[in-house]
Amino acid sequence: MKGNIIKYARDNIDTDVIIPGTYLKIHDYAELATHAMEGLDPDFHSKVKEGDFILSGKNFGCGSSREHAPIALSHSGIKAVLALSFARIFYRNSVDGAFLLPIEIGQDAYDGISEGDEISIDVSTNEIKNITKNQTYKMKPFSELIGKIIAAGGLFKYKPDQD
Amino acid sequence: MGKTLFEKIWESHIVVEKQNNPTLIYIDRHLVHEVTSPQAFDGLRQNNRKVRRPDLTIATMDHNVPTTDRSLPILDQTSSVQIKTLEKNCKDFGIKLFDINSPNQGIVHVIGPQLGITLPGTTIVCGDSHTSTHGAFGALALGIGTSDVEHVLASQTMWLEKPKPFEIRVEGKRKNPHAVTAKDIVLSIIKNIGTSGGTGTVIEYRGEGITDLSMEQRMTICNMSIEAGARAGLIAPDEKTFDYLRNREYTPKNYESLVDSWKDHLKTDSDAKFEKEFILHIDDIAPQVSWGTNPGMTCDVTDSVPSPDEFSNGDPNQKRGAEKALDYMALAPGTLIEDIKIDRVFIGSCTNARLEDLIEASKVIKGQKISPYVKAMVVPGSQMVKKQAEEMGLDKIFIDANFEWREAGCSMCLGMNPDILSPGERCASTSNRNFEGRQGTGGRTHLVSPVMAAAAAIHGHFVDVRKMDLS
Repeated sequence: MKGNIIKYARDNIDTDVIIPGTYLKIHDYAELATHAMEGLDPDFHSKVKEGDFILSGKNFGCGSSREHAPIALSHSGIKAVLALSFARIFYRNSVDGAFLLPIEIGQDAYDGISEGDEISIDVSTNEIKNITKNQTYKMKPFSELIGKIIAAGGLFKYKPDQD
Repeated sequence: MGKTLFEKIWESHIVVEKQNNPTLIYIDRHLVHEVTSPQAFDGLRQNNRKVRRPDLTIATMDHNVPTTDRSLPILDQTSSVQIKTLEKNCKDFGIKLFDINSPNQGIVHVIGPQLGITLPGTTIVCGDSHTSTHGAFGALALGIGTSDVEHVLASQTMWLEKPKPFEIRVEGKRKNPHAVTAKDIVLSIIKNIGTSGGTGTVIEYRGEGITDLSMEQRMTICNMSIEAGARAGLIAPDEKTFDYLRNREYTPKNYESLVDSWKDHLKTDSDAKFEKEFILHIDDIAPQVSWGTNPGMTCDVTDSVPSPDEFSNGDPNQKRGAEKALDYMALAPGTLIEDIKIDRVFIGSCTNARLEDLIEASKVIKGQKISPYVKAMVVPGSQMVKKQAEEMGLDKIFIDANFEWREAGCSMCLGMNPDILSPGERCASTSNRNFEGRQGTGGRTHLVSPVMAAAAAIHGHFVDVRKMDLS
């Protein structure tokens, strides 16, 4: 999986800025996507491209349990969020509906990857390649449940006896 | 080795557990509201599924209901649609609903306990992060997203990875328990352990500082567990817990025999091990005021706004976060917290809108008028809280002081209904999140206790309520 980085160099990006509460009444996901990240970056909708990745700091997706947050990012074209750590409800919500991949990274990847860099992610080897800068980093493996839900293609496809 | 309270509840709810696999956990109570459920019900319909246990599922509307006159139509069409959709879904799937005109309507985390639906030792889920509130009764209560809401509706179970038990001991006694409240205790905890200090854990709050608290105060503590990143917060049930739930509308008929079994079982064994520990001494803690844009950015009312340099710690993001927060909040480092002027006061939310919260705030207000520069409102947590407060004459105290007295709902906590801040407005709020734009685009939120919010309404700026006579 390949994409370009949109970097937010800060911790604690909460689901209220990912999709502000006033838009939780919207049921059309394409319309919801037009408001993604509006609370933090009003230019997000105009700059995001299909297949982009977000890179951010610690505790990404904290706060409200709204699944609208990964849905809004996913329908904006975001395929993965790379962060130093994730709040757990967001981490789970991201994969339940196969919306996007929540990738936990180390400080080396966080520091090494810049806005606009082209990145490839290989979850089978837990490897992240920075094509722009010709660097390689390790991602943290998915937690047990998250990895299994991703492999199944979403919560409703997951069966324990597949293992 | 002994077991923690969390481990006991977890183990008694395992449906499927296999080596190297997640655990399927049985859910005893599922609380549903209008915002995170519509897609879940759509999913059931698309797959021809029923709600497996409608008798264990309870719904209400709280997030976007208007808090003004309920006899009038709802002007916001999208809110109206969401509210009507929940009515239809509950009817179609046979779920008990406390609708907008029900005397039991209110914030889902306020009505669960007051109706006796929340019980010790149970597992509770809701598509809302503040489900952790119910942990005050010794229930394992988890906030979940909409896919998991659908999964629980369909199966009454949920796949989970086992969180780690985290002990937070609250030691000592507050010198002035009317001025230094449960809100100040939990804000102090988050200030110390940080907004991700509890990630991947279930916190059990223990110690004299917790057992001294009333049930409503314990709910304020557990409510904000999620603001420390924890999956849930728990307090072992005791006589106060059992008394609170006795003779409620939905208290089980065999309640006394349940109490007997809970007494023996629902406590952490003396030789149990926690994976993480934190101790807070509360003898000398001050009322807390948040200055930034997450609940960990909090200080004493007697402090001044910190400088971002204090947060460098070798981590540039912490300093940058503080700089951005101060910029958003339009605050200069060194400004005394007591010198910060406010435009709005919101007493409400699942954190602090129960009867005791309103009683305590009314003591500050009684016989006074709010500052002419401040707009203030009280939004009771439920219609039942509102009725009880009115029977005590609290509504009159607030209205005489020029507060607005509203109908129950989440209201200005999250800005989904017309109760929002205008850009640049500064609010003393008893809610749980001071995130950017949470109470309305450009709105600036300071998290405080109900007495601190009430005092700020009177004076037009923050004041140390320890100087007041609140007995």
